[in-house]
Amino acid sequence: MGNEALVMNNVCKDFKVLNRHEGLKGSIRDLFSRDYKTVSAVKDVSLTVGRGEIIGYLGPNGAGKSTTIKMMTGVLEPTSGEILVNGKVPYKNRTENCENIGVVFGQRSQLWWSLPLVESFKLLRDLYMVPQKEYEQMIDLYRSLVDIEPILNKPVRQMSLGQRTLSDILAAFLHNPAIVFLDEPTIGLDVSMKDKIRSLIKGLNKEKNTTVILTTHDMGDVDALCRRIVIIDHGQKIYDNDIEHLKNYFGSYRTLQLRLADDTWEEMLIDESETDIMEVIMTKQKEKKIKDIRLQEISTEEVIKKIYEGEAV
Amino acid sequence: MNPRKLLALTRAGIMESLHYRLGTAVTLFANLIYLVLVYFLWKAIYASSGVDTVNGMTFTDTMIYLILATSLFNFLEMFVVWDMSRSIQSGKIILDLLKPMKFRTYTFWSYSGSHVVLFVLTFIPTFIVVMIVTNGAIQLGLNLLWFVLATVFALIINFNIEMLVATLCLYTESTWGINIVKETIVLLLSGASIPLAFFPDWLRTVVDYLPFRAVYDIPLTILLQKNGTDTWQGLLPMFGLQIIWIAVLSVAGILFWNHSVRKITVNGG
Repeated sequence: MGNEALVMNNVCKDFKVLNRHEGLKGSIRDLFSRDYKTVSAVKDVSLTVGRGEIIGYLGPNGAGKSTTIKMMTGVLEPTSGEILVNGKVPYKNRTENCENIGVVFGQRSQLWWSLPLVESFKLLRDLYMVPQKEYEQMIDLYRSLVDIEPILNKPVRQMSLGQRTLSDILAAFLHNPAIVFLDEPTIGLDVSMKDKIRSLIKGLNKEKNTTVILTTHDMGDVDALCRRIVIIDHGQKIYDNDIEHLKNYFGSYRTLQLRLADDTWEEMLIDESETDIMEVIMTKQKEKKIKDIRLQEISTEEVIKKIYEGEAV
Repeated sequence: MNPRKLLALTRAGIMESLHYRLGTAVTLFANLIYLVLVYFLWKAIYASSGVDTVNGMTFTDTMIYLILATSLFNFLEMFVVWDMSRSIQSGKIILDLLKPMKFRTYTFWSYSGSHVVLFVLTFIPTFIVVMIVTNGAIQLGLNLLWFVLATVFALIINFNIEMLVATLCLYTESTWGINIVKETIVLLLSGASIPLAFFPDWLRTVVDYLPFRAVYDIPLTILLQKNGTDTWQGLLPMFGLQIIWIAVLSVAGILFWNHSVRKITVNGG
């Protein structure tokens, strides 16, 4: 296998959607309607992901993230363009592709609801034909990363959301896939569970060199896990680079806060590529006495928000 | 296909259905009520006809047939259509599509475990009770073996019918109506609610060649050794009909599914 876990070249996906009409009359008319419109969910996206990378795949709701993931997993066929996962076309070799990928959808579980977790693990072991020795090694690795003893014999339906998500992530890595897709894995979890899940993902990625494609709306996940992020909006890729570059993407902004003599805070957003912070402080000092200074980096969340709102494009 | 994968699914299915033992008990109870109703209905039919034998079947014959048909129905009943429509609406189907085997194979073997449990917990007890009550009206011999084989074929045919209807539901995005129509057709034309011997001749001729009969009527005919099924000449056409329908329905089902699955858009996410 080559060095790329995933390659996408000029991938597009169009959907045909029936134009629905309003009201009862409209609904009846829709029964016989041939009035379709084409919606482009993904437009000309190219992307290369190397082995062992963790990619943050971001975008506002409805940007085309899920559609892309479905194409990568082989569930959907692209309208045009080429996708290679582990060097193979996913929708043509669906079963084979499935043996080499793992998936977690934060809002659904692939585990067997009424059975204890360990039974789901055994079933997945047999479904993916994992040799017993490798299976045991994997369980040992899990033990070293998280405390799985309390959940191993617990039926899945009795688990808390956090325990269930944790279990689902473990289940997705069980057959040691080359790529794991995590779709909003930390949705609805508390702070400490989020932290646990992040360190688990990081640990598994490090130990097994698994490529991870992570979609999330939680910038904490991105900050903790991803070095590189890809942002799509309206089906188009608008950013693909390191997380550090992101902050300089539309000027290197920092927030300067000054406490003045009358104990009020003055706040200003400064673009360092245009204005020198020291100069600002000096000018201010000439007017009023400064008692305290705070300098804040702009957070990933704020940058992403600006990008989603279209300020950067 | 590796048997390890398939049997793992059967095993999990058995464990899951044993988990819902109260559900099984309720099914048995509902059955009992239904059978009481059937008993009095047919008793009235025979009483009003004024003769002992109607269409070549005595009252006892009819009762044995219907009781076994009902328990066979409970054992063979599948919920592929319901389950699939639910998992399409919730978007869970994507997780099943991403299992490392063909969706059909995965679905069939996922259900297999619960059929094993139902066979042991509902069909076998009913059969034993009928045997004791009728005091040897059913002969035991090689016919039991042929019956089990015919039942496995029946299960596969039933699964194929379910899958075809479930695939159809991918397009309609609504299931209820279609499924009711399917259930009514299957129940009537398979001989599960009225013995086929009671059908008018022209309908009987048509029904004899349809797949529905192969689900309930053929296994029961073999078990009760009717229509010469105690000989090879009688057995072979029965199995032949089942195998032909398995082949036809499987090919149609696979083609229809492969064509449809490329078009589906999984909801949500």
